[in-house]
Amino acid sequence: MTDEPPSLALRLIAALLFAFLLLPVAVVVLAAFSDTAYLTIPPQGLTLRWFAKVFHDPDYLAAIVLSLKLAAVATLLATVLAVPACYALHHRWVPAGETIANLLMSPLIFPAVVIGVALLQYVSLLGIRGSFATLVLAHAMIVTPYLIRTGLAGFAGMDPALEEAARVLGANRFMAFFLVVAPVIRSSLGAGLVFALITSFDEVPVTVFLLPPGQATLPVTIFTAIDQGVDPSVAAVSTLMIAATAILLVAVERFAGMRRLF
Amino acid sequence: MTRSGERRAGWLLVAPLCLLLLAVFVAPVALMLPTSFRTYQPGLGITSGWTAHNYTQIVTDGYLLEVLGRTFVLGVSVTAICLVLGFPLAVVLARASGAARGILTLLVVFPLTLNVVVRSFGWISLLSNRGLINQALMALGIVDVPLRMMFNLTGLIVGLTHVLLPVMVVLLAAALRALPRDVEAAAATLGTRPWKTFFLVTLPLAAPGIFAGCVLVFVLTISALVTPRLLGGPAYKVMATAIFDEFLSSLDWPTGAALAFALTLFALAVVALAGLLTRRWVAAR
Repeated sequence: MTDEPPSLALRLIAALLFAFLLLPVAVVVLAAFSDTAYLTIPPQGLTLRWFAKVFHDPDYLAAIVLSLKLAAVATLLATVLAVPACYALHHRWVPAGETIANLLMSPLIFPAVVIGVALLQYVSLLGIRGSFATLVLAHAMIVTPYLIRTGLAGFAGMDPALEEAARVLGANRFMAFFLVVAPVIRSSLGAGLVFALITSFDEVPVTVFLLPPGQATLPVTIFTAIDQGVDPSVAAVSTLMIAATAILLVAVERFAGMRRLF
Repeated sequence: MTRSGERRAGWLLVAPLCLLLLAVFVAPVALMLPTSFRTYQPGLGITSGWTAHNYTQIVTDGYLLEVLGRTFVLGVSVTAICLVLGFPLAVVLARASGAARGILTLLVVFPLTLNVVVRSFGWISLLSNRGLINQALMALGIVDVPLRMMFNLTGLIVGLTHVLLPVMVVLLAAALRALPRDVEAAAATLGTRPWKTFFLVTLPLAAPGIFAGCVLVFVLTISALVTPRLLGGPAYKVMATAIFDEFLSSLDWPTGAALAFALTLFALAVVALAGLLTRRWVAAR
């Protein structure tokens, strides 16, 4: 690709496409602050009432807590399992490492709804429908590919001489890992972690089949609310998610750089 | 460490993750396979005995055939639109540098990371009968009755294009950035017109990346559940939402399982075929 700046026509097209990408986001935010139950043009009245409704709704609060807890526990579990696996795969300690890595990545190309219904039947057969543990295991499996990808990239980008030097200087494998290897792969792994947290928090097509009765994650709560007819507090809670996403992205860009994610 | 010691340590490190994958991915999918050959009778549930009817009905039952065809049309349309719209955006993104590159990347990644439920909700506010677009069209006197843009193919295409355009742009921009810097300049120096350079130099070189982007967008479109459900409603079904309803509403798990395997096979076949074609293409040049 040349470094020549794009022509005016190209920039105009790009601006229109960005408008298309941001249009529904703007609409949701406007609806959240608007007084009428249905969004009108121009928006009528300014209110924070819908936000107050969200913060006083025990269902939404429980959903936020469940989503955060699930994302944190599942990502932690997946990380604890994925980092050692990446270490062994990187050092070629196991035969057929490529096949194993591909297997670990495979949940990514399976339609999520298929994994969801398969798990629904599975937990019904085992008689463990609607348990938090199943949700954690399922989410850990779903986010594993992101951690494997960034983990392997992190190990591959590391100078192997660093670990050898630590070993020659008398560190055992554990010390060498925690004192030398971990700090080097940290930023790469951090990007995978952020992606895993977002993926788990946002997951619907598997989660919807596994939720305990009467409980739901935040996206599933909104999904169900829309499915049953829109209530303006949906716009308010969606706006909160938009704000959280924006803050998170700016923080990632500031501290790690977007390049690590994409 | 000795070679066999490394082998043993390696298995110990890899095994826990493999066990997790076996327990909550491989086993559930494998156990759904026999279900897809069972019969379901309303009121009785899943009965004993084997049948291939769940699979044959997908191509003989008019309704299921329509759902299958609709899913395919949706996948092709969304992929084509994402490619056409995504290309200029990817070119702008790939050529940007410094602060502009950071901001443009953020603008593409922001919708990408934003929850799909939230994004679909935004489109409902825009496309529904009382939505913003219809209000605007009626206020301007362009239409008298609201245009139907939801619960049909239009709504699904718009919603899924919005969901997958950033994916396409990210992949295309990566493919364009990986191009050797000098070839376009060389073509220009030799007097080739810009559009000719684009079609004869840029496009063939970026072809494997473009193809990979299209395959991913197609597979993600035919697998999508949330956007088709919210913008299509319970009546306008695609494969994924049909599977959802068989399992949660009609409780006909054998039919749902057969549909699930058909969808998976479809997606995996597209991925495998694409991989084969890409290897041929790269080898041929």
